[in-house]
Amino acid sequence: MKLLIVEDEQGLRDSMQEYFTEAGNVCETASEYNSAMAKVQLYRYDCILLDITLPGGTGIDILKELKAGNHSDGILIISAKNSLDDRLEGLDLGADDYLVKPFHLSELRARVMAIIRRKSYNGNNLMSFNEIEIDLLAKAVSVGKNQVKLTRKEYALLLYFIANKGKVVSKNAIAEHLWGDEFDMADNFDFIYSHIKNLRKKLVEAGSNDYIHAAYGMGYKFSE
Amino acid sequence: MRLLTKYNRINLITTVIVMFITGIIYYQTIKIILTDKIDKNLVVEENEVFEHVRLNNNLPQVYQSDDQHITFKLVTSPVTRRFIDTAFLNPPDKDPESGRGLITSVKVKGDTYQVSVVESKVETEDLIRIIFMITIAVILLLVMSLFVINRLTINRLWKPFYSILSNLRSFNITDKKGAVSVPSNTDEFNELNNAIVVMESKAKNDYQDLKAFTENASHELLTPIAVINSKLDTLIQTGLFSEQQSNLLGDLYESVSRLTRLNRAMLLMVKIENHLINDDQYVNVKDVVEQLLAQFHELYADKDITVTKQLSDKQIYTSRSLLEILLNNLLSNAIRHNLAGGKIDITLDYHKLSIKNTGKGQALNSNDIFKRFNKSSHSEGTGLGLTISKQICDSYGFELSYKYDDPYHVMSIYFKD
Repeated sequence: MKLLIVEDEQGLRDSMQEYFTEAGNVCETASEYNSAMAKVQLYRYDCILLDITLPGGTGIDILKELKAGNHSDGILIISAKNSLDDRLEGLDLGADDYLVKPFHLSELRARVMAIIRRKSYNGNNLMSFNEIEIDLLAKAVSVGKNQVKLTRKEYALLLYFIANKGKVVSKNAIAEHLWGDEFDMADNFDFIYSHIKNLRKKLVEAGSNDYIHAAYGMGYKFSE
Repeated sequence: MRLLTKYNRINLITTVIVMFITGIIYYQTIKIILTDKIDKNLVVEENEVFEHVRLNNNLPQVYQSDDQHITFKLVTSPVTRRFIDTAFLNPPDKDPESGRGLITSVKVKGDTYQVSVVESKVETEDLIRIIFMITIAVILLLVMSLFVINRLTINRLWKPFYSILSNLRSFNITDKKGAVSVPSNTDEFNELNNAIVVMESKAKNDYQDLKAFTENASHELLTPIAVINSKLDTLIQTGLFSEQQSNLLGDLYESVSRLTRLNRAMLLMVKIENHLINDDQYVNVKDVVEQLLAQFHELYADKDITVTKQLSDKQIYTSRSLLEILLNNLLSNAIRHNLAGGKIDITLDYHKLSIKNTGKGQALNSNDIFKRFNKSSHSEGTGLGLTISKQICDSYGFELSYKYDDPYHVMSIYFKD
């Protein structure tokens, strides 16, 4: 997949780029308005991660430019402005999603993957990871011929893991993804563990390999 | 006691006392003057008697006039000449009037007679009475007019003061409007008013500065927090960590996520205060409660908390996102501060939503819990949750209240009708 990261803060831009850089991915960056504008006018991307506040202009104008050109690039707005108006304006103008700083990279990746999936599968709602098959429309998971009955949270967790496959995902990121960032999870990590244990058990019982690995007590990694 | 009443009271008491004292002095002076005049009359009469005796060497004929009696009495030795207050009988069978007499003695042909000249004091006393009545009438008139004048003028004089006072009462520091000036031609009130106008605008400016600072600080903090967060996410991808390193990273994650929540809460408060959230729509509170309960299901199930609910439909016109934040805060508090195996009871009717939860068996201070950064020492929360909840309720005219109803802590939202 081909991504463009438009973000003026170097530290954040580097982290995002690094998180998305892997075999088969092209990840370009722009640090200010003009270079970002030049890039979106010249090249097409699967997804553009767009900061709203940029030196030299606003991300909203880039979004407008993209929509005016009828380009189908996926657009994820990243903003420090947690303003509802901004969010609505962005989504009204045709952005696919909106993420407020600060965020976990795994959350960002899950959102980006969801956008790309929606764009590229286009009617095909099946997704698979090795022997695990997921029907996104029916929210049904199966391993081979075996249906796996997952709760809503377990299903969300599985999608989150697959979007971040090969990456260590922190427990905080998981907790915030599943229960929202408003809820204080400090004393509840134990039961994230029990959730993951359940998911793991259900998948293994259905005949899947065990892909979920605990990572040094601070997170989990979904990998072969 | 109002200033006017106080002033009136002092004024009245002083007036009455002064008038009373004046009246007494007046009375005494007039009495002395009149008595002196009667005494002079008596002396004139005495002289006439002496003159008669000297010329005729006998006692004069006694005329019994209406206001003067002269009597002679044979005595053995001369009496001391003196003035007396005595009774005056006119005619002798009538009730005695008060009178003034002069006792003296005269020698006629070797016999000593006591002469007493008595004059009625009735007229004098009538005069004094009239003077006294007039004085009383004047006092009453004065008191009444003072009272009326005070009522009318003083109330009007103080009017600017009461306007200033009501302005002060309605003073709201978050209000961006300038202070209202009360026109008056009284210097004192103008000074007071000017001082207040200056003070109010200074307070408002300071408040706005402070608010802008909080807002800017919260915004400026976002980026570094975002960088720390992303760097941590990147760091944990880099390889194998020892248990000690993992623990350190875990602590870092925890602190950063608290920092994030704190920062979001502060930004949210600024937004609610500035009325920047305007997605008002009709929302069924019941739906939101159900949705949040589903979202939190694992959380309370994990603590073995029994949730009972009695919800009826209640539509309110509000921001859905703020309502979610409000109920999210209240419900997550009810779960977080609950005991293992505890209870949560939620009732929603047309007038109010109540969330009851078991917890530490001890009432919280209902004045403090809504204050910023007020939280129990073991709480991992931001300490802003209830402040935000209260702010949301205030901005929609709902009333949020807490009470302890053993063994339940009860949070209630009263909707406005």
